[in-house]
Amino acid sequence: MDIEEVKRRAGPREFSPKDDLPEEYRKAATRMIQFHANSEIMGAYLERPFIREAPSLDRKLACSAKVQDEIGHGQLLYRAAESLGLKTRDEMLDELANGEGKFLNCFHYPMESWVETPMIAFFVDGAAMRRQATLKRTSWEPYAHAMDKVCFEEGFHVKHGEAILHELMTGSKKEQEMTQEAFEVWWPRIIQFFGPTNDKSTHHGFASEVGLKQMGNDELRTAFLNAYIPKAEKYGLEIPDEPRIRKNDDGTYEVVEEDLDWDEFFTIAKNDYDGSHQQINGRQKAQEAVDWVREVLDEHEAREFGSTQQQAAD
Amino acid sequence: MIWEVFRQENAGDYHEHCGNVHAPDREMALMFAEVQHARRKPTNSLWVAPKDEIGEVDTEDAKFGGTTDKSYRWAVTYDFEAAASEVEESTDEQAEADRRRKVQQEKQEAQGGD
Ligand SMILES: [Fe+2]
Ligand SMILES: [Fe+2]
Repeated sequence: MDIEEVKRRAGPREFSPKDDLPEEYRKAATRMIQFHANSEIMGAYLERPFIREAPSLDRKLACSAKVQDEIGHGQLLYRAAESLGLKTRDEMLDELANGEGKFLNCFHYPMESWVETPMIAFFVDGAAMRRQATLKRTSWEPYAHAMDKVCFEEGFHVKHGEAILHELMTGSKKEQEMTQEAFEVWWPRIIQFFGPTNDKSTHHGFASEVGLKQMGNDELRTAFLNAYIPKAEKYGLEIPDEPRIRKNDDGTYEVVEEDLDWDEFFTIAKNDYDGSHQQINGRQKAQEAVDWVREVLDEHEAREFGSTQQQAAD
Repeated sequence: MIWEVFRQENAGDYHEHCGNVHAPDREMALMFAEVQHARRKPTNSLWVAPKDEIGEVDTEDAKFGGTTDKSYRWAVTYDFEAAASEVEESTDEQAEADRRRKVQQEKQEAQGGD
């Protein structure tokens, strides 16, 4: 199939591993899904310490279930990426550990306090779910299948995050203040989740032409703000003055881009931020610590099937 | 090694393909399938099968029937008297299959006409 035919046919769940797809499509899809898979893993690592920090047994159970879900999402997505035939799971995990693998901006910042957990679980998961729901209609079928399952589980993350926010914002005055402070720190990052406006995003055009992306960043950001600004206000959070957000006559929101720190954003995009190093190194250490497990699995597979290919723990 | 995973939601349902996992043997494939594909969704049973062991033939290589007029082999063709209930049931199933086939055919024709 040539790229023109891909563009002509690009509909929801149109292409599967059976199709003979051009390199260009495979590359774009691999880049996108690998980024998504990496983000699931890095998000899980960021939240993992809060299983321990959780203030009650219920929260502990929910946090540990969420972290488990996110790792599972990573696994499903690496499979969807692998099925494009360009990279193995092994290679993608190595790239993540050695700092080549890219992931979501929000997961490059350290998280220190429990009051920050709803910033991720409610706002970032909420933003992610907004995007993921549209990806059920992506043109790479294995990716869409993964999204079916991811979205099935994601509702719990967002609502649990919302429950934590509600609890904090109806808690002591101190808790409310700390939550507002955390919100002010995270708010610009959350808005940057959707990246700069379309015209600055280099990969966006192609990805939507071949049906990988189903909705543009601007549209997603607007949809997110429409749903989550009223939510934030309802729980008593004050929306920071900057970035300025203009409400249009048709009810949509527009963010003043100059008010956001794009230098920081693009430093993060290159994995060069302080937090990037910290998070990536943490992940690398975890990867090395369980090297022996992967080796045992590979050896076992080689014995079982008498093959030299070592893929079990790829 | 890659194993395809098939999940059955309730006893009596069909096992439906739901994804795949890496695993060194069948036992671990079942374990990983359980964790990745049946942890949250209601599940009654799981199957795993090595990816390489699955054969496929699709519309590109096969004519799956329904493309020529074979109305003589359908029960609905002989509707002139009320039949026994189990025969009626079979007729309904066939009528439903026929309706779906027509919808599918119309869809394909519409796509071909693009
Ligand atoms: Fe997730
Ligand atoms: Fe999540």
